[in-house]
Amino acid sequence: MRAPTRRTILASITGTLIASLALVGCSAGTASTDGGPDTTLTVGLLATPGNLDYTTTAGAAIPQALLYNVYEGLVKLDNEGTVIPLLAESWTVSDDGLVYDFVLNEGVTFSDGSPFTADSVKFSLERVKDNWTANGPAYLDPIAGIEAVTDTQARITLSTPSNGWLFNMTGPVGTMFTEAGISDLATAPVGTGPYTVSSFKTGDSLVLAANADYWGAAPYLTDVTLRYFTDATAQTNALLSGDINLISGISQFQLVDQFKSDADYQVLEGASTGEVTLSMNNASDAFSDVRVRQAVMYAIDRQAVMDTVSSGYGLLIGSMVPPTDPWYDASLADLYPFDPARAIALLAEAGMSDLTVAFKIPNLPYAVAGAQVVKAQLADVGITAEVTPLEFPAVWLDEVFADHDYDLSLIMHSEPRDVSVFAAASYYAGYDSPAVMAKFAQADAADPAVYVELMKEATRTMAEEASANWLYLQPAISLADADLRGVPKNTPSLALDLSTIAR
Amino acid sequence: MVLVILRRIGIFATTGIVASIVTFLLLAILPGNAARIALGVQATEADVAAQATAIGLDRPAVVRYLDWIGHVLVGDFGTSAVSRQPIGPDIADALGITVILVLASVVLALLFAIPFGILTAIRQRGPDGAIFSSISQIGVAVPGFLAGLLLVTVFAVTLRWLPAGGWVDPADDFSGFIEHLILPAIALGSVQGAVLSRYVRSAVLDVMRDDFMRTARAKGLGTARALFRHGLRNAAVPVMTVLGLQIATLLIGAVVIERVFSIPGLGSLLLDKVALRDLPAVQGIVLVLVVFVLVLNFLVDLAFTVIDPRLRSES
Repeated sequence: MRAPTRRTILASITGTLIASLALVGCSAGTASTDGGPDTTLTVGLLATPGNLDYTTTAGAAIPQALLYNVYEGLVKLDNEGTVIPLLAESWTVSDDGLVYDFVLNEGVTFSDGSPFTADSVKFSLERVKDNWTANGPAYLDPIAGIEAVTDTQARITLSTPSNGWLFNMTGPVGTMFTEAGISDLATAPVGTGPYTVSSFKTGDSLVLAANADYWGAAPYLTDVTLRYFTDATAQTNALLSGDINLISGISQFQLVDQFKSDADYQVLEGASTGEVTLSMNNASDAFSDVRVRQAVMYAIDRQAVMDTVSSGYGLLIGSMVPPTDPWYDASLADLYPFDPARAIALLAEAGMSDLTVAFKIPNLPYAVAGAQVVKAQLADVGITAEVTPLEFPAVWLDEVFADHDYDLSLIMHSEPRDVSVFAAASYYAGYDSPAVMAKFAQADAADPAVYVELMKEATRTMAEEASANWLYLQPAISLADADLRGVPKNTPSLALDLSTIAR
Repeated sequence: MVLVILRRIGIFATTGIVASIVTFLLLAILPGNAARIALGVQATEADVAAQATAIGLDRPAVVRYLDWIGHVLVGDFGTSAVSRQPIGPDIADALGITVILVLASVVLALLFAIPFGILTAIRQRGPDGAIFSSISQIGVAVPGFLAGLLLVTVFAVTLRWLPAGGWVDPADDFSGFIEHLILPAIALGSVQGAVLSRYVRSAVLDVMRDDFMRTARAKGLGTARALFRHGLRNAAVPVMTVLGLQIATLLIGAVVIERVFSIPGLGSLLLDKVALRDLPAVQGIVLVLVVFVLVLNFLVDLAFTVIDPRLRSES
């Protein structure tokens, strides 16, 4: 009697287990059945937008998704960092550099059906000054007046000549809006771009659909899902399991070689605008002496830091200028070779042979890893760096960025063309050089022919005065399914331009 | 019974308010400024100050708290300090996802624990019993996030049977929803299943020694029928107690599992909002979690009285 009964129990247990496994098995696997070419794409990204309004919310996440895809400006930045026409078909600049006459493309409509005209230009740019609180409304300060000459002719007058102004128009502040489409920017953007937002769930995904009435060439991809991850491992796993097709700008560089050896994927290496910077508080007791700052330049083996933090990927730059900017100067990378003996001599000369500094870093993986190498190399020349990781962004922004309460920090500056921002006296670096600021102002107002040369001079002075130790340029590495074509290699702007991608 | 419910509601309200005050105080002393985070590195100090005024950060803490709790009591969770969007809908969406995840993992845990626990109880003395027992020990020892990573590596990355993460709304695509639910539910439920199976085992062992079981057997029932008819109902009471306690653990586990699987549930939302110092949002989420745990415990208590008539007369 006992034996059969026990079998009954076992049988029923096994039955339950098999049933639940079968349930798992049934639902596994997905099928795509439509016969045509696959025009969908899922991109994995790390920073999620909190809303869709970049006029009032900072951060790279919103422009990354919307700029050039949903929103367009008069001009855009191509993947090589060149300003090219977009909604403006062409433009002329007066001899004194003050008057820009834009000829606008005809037949352009916003996704709500309203036409794009010179009035839209006037409306959008005038709105920046009063209504924008984020993404640099000050970029448009040079504008003195906007005039709608005809429907397709817009005239913008500057108060002073500015070489940088048109470049800034390729960013968020240059976005064209329609008066009827700004009532709900946070959830329902209306632009002239090749895509419209079909759904958005913060922290999860943003779905873009091709705009059927787009004025330009229709994009290849009809449906693009941007999926947001909080964890880089989850992001790469999603690529490996086929959930996503593209990761733009990976952060786990140790995985790159694994993907390179896998024929199912392609690895695209390009340049970003992210300068990974060992910031010195130029106004602090420790670093107000240029010799101490130069000692830090000689003390750090930047290649070793790059090898540790980004598996050797990246570019040694020696200044706050990436190669996609016209005033990039490759020779600055060799200005301070790794020379600990020289560093020790400079510190002795400055009377700072036994220096202890507060090294406050954001609690981000690259900063934590990089700080360990930097700390060890500084110790070799007699500088004791006390490392404190601060929660990023909340605490780091308050303590280091706003209150300047630090000696050393390590942070990536990802904004495009931010070298003159870095030199401002009120900036957290505390680099107070009226001469350099005057040079940047002179460059901006100068004849375009000498603009680049003046920018180079100011950049070189900043490097010679060791205003910061620019460790390396963050590599822009994208991982993609092998069949994707036209994936942007570089990231010269904030935008992830989807219009060139095809299969 | 009415008295019991009234007392429960009293505990609800008190715990909720205490939790909200504690959360508020902890966040108030935490460094970081929602206004600066919202405006980013290009903002001037004047911009930051203006934004702080706009979102009410410059008011005294007591005023901010009373304003917030007053609105919550009428069902208005307020506006996010960073994205300026209403918080209520975000919490509702995220809660829905977390509840599904937790319930699915409870079901999986029970599906595993009940048969496995009974099995190890009846096979207590055999060598296979020892093996089964070790398996559940390993299950207890492996943390949920590690189980999650392993499951992803095997079933998503290597075999490509299931997605590595993400979430699909059941209303949009039901089979996609199930596919996305399986791995996180297993990861979250596995530890609980292993823990529960050990409670099931000892509960069944206890029950099998009871007099009424001997009586049932003496009447001519076999072990299995005696166990099913009389034993399991008695064994269920201690197991239910543990289950009730474990649901709170599962909610905490869900925070981690949601990260591993990129699921936009309440845990993910909470971590995001804390990072952004989005005070009104964090307070709202914590309050919802507290109420959720209280409600679940209340339901478990109710379930006792259904299972065990003896408890009914006591209350």
